[in-house]
Amino acid sequence: MIIEARDLRKTFVVKRRRGKREEVEAVRGIDLEVEPGEVFAVLGPNGAGKTTTVRMLATFTAPTSGTARVAGFDVAKEAAKVRENIGYVSQAGGIDEIAPGIESLLLAARLSGMSRKQAQARADELLTAFSLTEIANRPAKTLSGGQKRRFAIAVGLVTAPPLIFLDEPTTGLDPQNRANLWDEVRKLREQGTSVLLTTHYLDEADALCDRLVIVDQGKIVAEGTPEGLKKEVAGDVVTLRLEGTAAARDLLASQPYIKEVHAEDGILRAYLDDGEHGLPHMLRTLEEHSLGIQSISLDRATLDDVFLKHTGRSLRDAA
Amino acid sequence: MMVRHTMLFLGYELRSLLRNPVWPLFGIMQPVLYLVFFAPLLRSTVPGGDMTDVLAMFTPGSMMMIALFGSMFAGFGLINETRNGVLERLAVSQAWRPAIILGRLLKDVIVLILQAILVIGIAALMGLRIGVPEMVLVLLLMAATGLFAASLSYGLALTLRDENGMSQVVQFFAMPLTLIAGLFLPISLGPQWLQTIAKFNPLYYAVEAGRSLFRGDLSASTIPIAFGLFVVLTALTLTWSVRSLGKLAG
Ligand SMILES: Nc1ncnc2c1ncn2[C@@H]1O[C@H](COP(=O)(O)OP(=O)(O)OP(=O)(O)O)[C@@H](O)[C@H]1O
Ligand SMILES: [Mg+2]
Repeated sequence: MIIEARDLRKTFVVKRRRGKREEVEAVRGIDLEVEPGEVFAVLGPNGAGKTTTVRMLATFTAPTSGTARVAGFDVAKEAAKVRENIGYVSQAGGIDEIAPGIESLLLAARLSGMSRKQAQARADELLTAFSLTEIANRPAKTLSGGQKRRFAIAVGLVTAPPLIFLDEPTTGLDPQNRANLWDEVRKLREQGTSVLLTTHYLDEADALCDRLVIVDQGKIVAEGTPEGLKKEVAGDVVTLRLEGTAAARDLLASQPYIKEVHAEDGILRAYLDDGEHGLPHMLRTLEEHSLGIQSISLDRATLDDVFLKHTGRSLRDAA
Repeated sequence: MMVRHTMLFLGYELRSLLRNPVWPLFGIMQPVLYLVFFAPLLRSTVPGGDMTDVLAMFTPGSMMMIALFGSMFAGFGLINETRNGVLERLAVSQAWRPAIILGRLLKDVIVLILQAILVIGIAALMGLRIGVPEMVLVLLLMAATGLFAASLSYGLALTLRDENGMSQVVQFFAMPLTLIAGLFLPISLGPQWLQTIAKFNPLYYAVEAGRSLFRGDLSASTIPIAFGLFVVLTALTLTWSVRSLGKLAG
């Protein structure tokens, strides 16, 4: 295990006006196990506790309770050892805006113990790998969001760590840059680097990771491979808009080929394993009870359906 | 590793500075303006009206002004770095944490000494006379004052993490501290109560020690007091700022 966390918790104490104190339970008991070489995703809406979890694993924030071993070392007692073995790219990026990106890269290399020559060689390697050579000497503030992000990741990889943390690596990037970044992550997996990334995009977790956890309000609500989690919900989902939602829900829930039904704002979502064959049955049943359908669609279940099943909310609404 | 990392951060900061070497020149405008336009005015108030005496009295004050004002704002740049993730990244890197602050402090002191040399040079053109050992001591005294003010500023920046709050706090402290230090005119010209309050102001000792040095009086008691005070104060504020760096995570 490259990451092994047991019942991690973090409670922040926030000072309010007139000395009032408020406790924020950001992370409320998280267990994680990540294998070497895995791309592992932490998926969750805003405020779920993703950043806090990553910060605890990366030794930035001290856990309130619980333990974690990263690369074989305890995050609290052997923080220095952990730091030698990780790269960490924060949600904010952490690139000095005023200096050219190459400066951040070289400083990070030298701080890890490289000589001037080694640092230059490693920097050149990363600049080429991330197509940054041309913009290496421009002040970082003049770079686009995607270019800055690539610099941030290059800085995180400067020591060629066995494990890298990427906190929301694609937030704010356009689809093209997102796709490029996904390719970078896949390359890392090919090289055997373990990656823990956080995201609130379902498709990102789906496309990129080997395994994931879904977190909500500081707790893990589901864990597994993207396929496994989706299968758990059912293969397909039929989304219906119709009058008399309540009646239709009860009716559909009693059908043997339907696994589960959710009703929300006049929209019904019925989960079933074999949508192509189930759909005609469904239509007939609804017609027999003269429930008028306004619209209907058949889709493959997504991680959003997994989130919905476990939290009762859609990730799109929660985020 | 401690020295190596400090030097790496110092080098990084100095390269940043060299990319924009004009900013520190703005910093010395204020004391230079005071020297050029205010010192001649003072001349008429001093018995004898000798410009050399006026400059010996006035130059230390204007030097302490850059040591204090210039350095008190040193922390502003760091506030942004608490938010843009730079400090977060460095905190979990293999960097020796105090080096993050020490590198910047050393850069601040180097800039300060260069500024001071320029100011002394201009004062010398106007007629100031000062011996070499005195001048070295004056520069060291400035360095000590600057170290204290800058590390205080870094501590404030890392604790407050708010530009508005920080500029209010700096203004709040800087103004009375400079007034009660006798920056422009010796406190000894003032009433007894003012002289009593001044005894509690570390900057007062720095200014007085500076005046003694400019007069060539190496035996003045304010000189060791000033150095001692600033060494102790710097140690305290530096420890505080490094501690605050560790508390960034909340
Ligand atoms: N330093 C802090 N002090 C106080 N509260 C905090 C702090 N950091 C996070 N929190 C709170 O902890 C909770 C979890 O925050 P966290 O940043 O871990 O969420 P997240 O999942 O990363 O969200 P996002 O997707 O918006 O980045 C939030 O309610 C947040 O307000
Ligand atoms: Mg976050």
